[in-house]
Amino acid sequence: MTDTPSSRASTSAELTIATPEGVLFRLPLAGPASRLYAMLLDIVIVLGVVNGVGLLVSWIFAKAPGFGVMVITLAEFAIGFAYSALLEGFWNGQTIGKRAFHLRVIDQTGLPLRIEQAWVRNLMRVFDALPFAYLVGGLSVLSSSLMQRVGDRVAGTLVVRQTPLALPREESWTRQKYNSFMDYPAIAIKLRRAATPELASLIQDALRRRSELASYARREIYRELATYLQSETSPFPDELVERLSDEQYLINASGILVGDQRSSRV
Amino acid sequence: MILDLERFQAQAQPRWRDLESLLATLENRPDRRLNPAEGEQLQELYARVAADLNRVTHGALALELRQYLERLVARAYAELYYAPTTRSELWQPRRWLGIFTAFPETFRRQSRYFALAVLITLLGCTFGGLAVHYDPASVDVLLPAEYLRNPDERVHQEEQGKARHRPSTQTEAAFSAQLITHNIQVALLAAALGVTFGIGTALLLFENGVLLGAVAVHYTQRGFGLFMTAWLLPHGVFEIPSILIAGQAGFFLARLLLHRREDRNVRLSMRDWLVLVAGLAMMLVWAGIMEAFFSQHHAPVLPYGFKVAVAAAELVLLTIYLLMIGRKEIVAESGATSENR
Repeated sequence: MTDTPSSRASTSAELTIATPEGVLFRLPLAGPASRLYAMLLDIVIVLGVVNGVGLLVSWIFAKAPGFGVMVITLAEFAIGFAYSALLEGFWNGQTIGKRAFHLRVIDQTGLPLRIEQAWVRNLMRVFDALPFAYLVGGLSVLSSSLMQRVGDRVAGTLVVRQTPLALPREESWTRQKYNSFMDYPAIAIKLRRAATPELASLIQDALRRRSELASYARREIYRELATYLQSETSPFPDELVERLSDEQYLINASGILVGDQRSSRV
Repeated sequence: MILDLERFQAQAQPRWRDLESLLATLENRPDRRLNPAEGEQLQELYARVAADLNRVTHGALALELRQYLERLVARAYAELYYAPTTRSELWQPRRWLGIFTAFPETFRRQSRYFALAVLITLLGCTFGGLAVHYDPASVDVLLPAEYLRNPDERVHQEEQGKARHRPSTQTEAAFSAQLITHNIQVALLAAALGVTFGIGTALLLFENGVLLGAVAVHYTQRGFGLFMTAWLLPHGVFEIPSILIAGQAGFFLARLLLHRREDRNVRLSMRDWLVLVAGLAMMLVWAGIMEAFFSQHHAPVLPYGFKVAVAAAELVLLTIYLLMIGRKEIVAESGATSENR
């Protein structure tokens, strides 16, 4: 498979990595908004640390306020520059803010970033922050297919989203004893061929959230999905469909899409 | 191919769990090194899970499963192909002290960019100097600060030793920190402006040169040449070269970005840029201390001759440091491109 399905690519920016073994995988890129939130959180943390250091230093240097100011100024400056670089360098591409928002800086080849890269991308902030409020960096992110600010382009890094993913659970409806759709293997296979991954996961989600939905909403959603499937992809015989509720229709369809197809395997 | 997802998942799940737990162990290990057995295990699991991913991407409709496997493969790939610097190495002082020799070495290796920075600054100096020489009124435009425009008053006050110009050590300390941070920020900006293909760096250096040239000519015309030398040079002999080195780093970066496509060795080049920036930051710390604690004291307290002598000694030491310390390189090599190291 050399091309990623365009329907997926349109929902969010991704980086596709082709490994030397010929495996393709995709990493979802972080958008400007989540990065901004992470940065704001980091700024709050840095300000907190700096003020803490400031209090401590002015207490130590109470007799020599000038030296106190000197130490504070230098410490603020060093913390401001080193915070992100050191954390990203030693903590596999994450600052506290990035960790909180499930972001990670990586090398643009998909590997962990190196310490030099962490420093370069963070020192380049002086340019990205120009002329005010990260205008240059923001424009760079928006104009880049890899969502890189200038510092990222120079360092060869990018920021990916890493929300925790769990292995899909086994769903009860894929294990029902008898699926009446299996009696029509030709139509079932047609359904399987025609359905996109999005459609399949939409149906799964709708079923999974059964108890979260208000009854009228559930009826409406199930009806729409079942009607869509019946008319667009898999016209099962009317005498069968008439006997099924919309929900049962979706359960059967879902069983065809992701379930055990012992009876339909040819 | 019609894939029975449920059965497939049930069969393959043990190896996914194995890979997951192996990765969890490796990622939490500080040095991220593998022993041979782990390496073999990782390699094998990676290959099998990657194959699982390929099957899922081809045939199946399970979005979640595919994302899960993609994540797993991505993590295994990162562990397998990443050759980290070990952290134990990173904490060795030898490695950090290495900056003191790496800086002059890098400075010499990339000296042609330094030459370019000097050239542009000299152009600025000439322009500023000539402008003030032939059109004294241009001082008002070229020199922003009041104290730079009226040397008579300033020198008078300084030599009188007026109270507000005799700062305590305390204020000097605070002043030095401000100078250091401000100068490092400006220098860093010059180095970062390399991404504008060096244009921003060149403009910044030129402007700096104009200022220097204008001040020099202006003060000399009024007969305060010695005062100015003694006032500016004790810190200037570090400050001016460090801005030039910032320019060097900027032009180096510009060059690096311009032929990024061919240059496979971007990592080493980035290290050069970082070393230059770190080195000039160290120089600016010294310059800030000198400017606050030494340069601001004038004739009755500190004779001008002494100040100039100190400046000269500093310059000699700096030159020796930048030209002699560290590994020597053969002349032919130093002219070669940054890639061979």
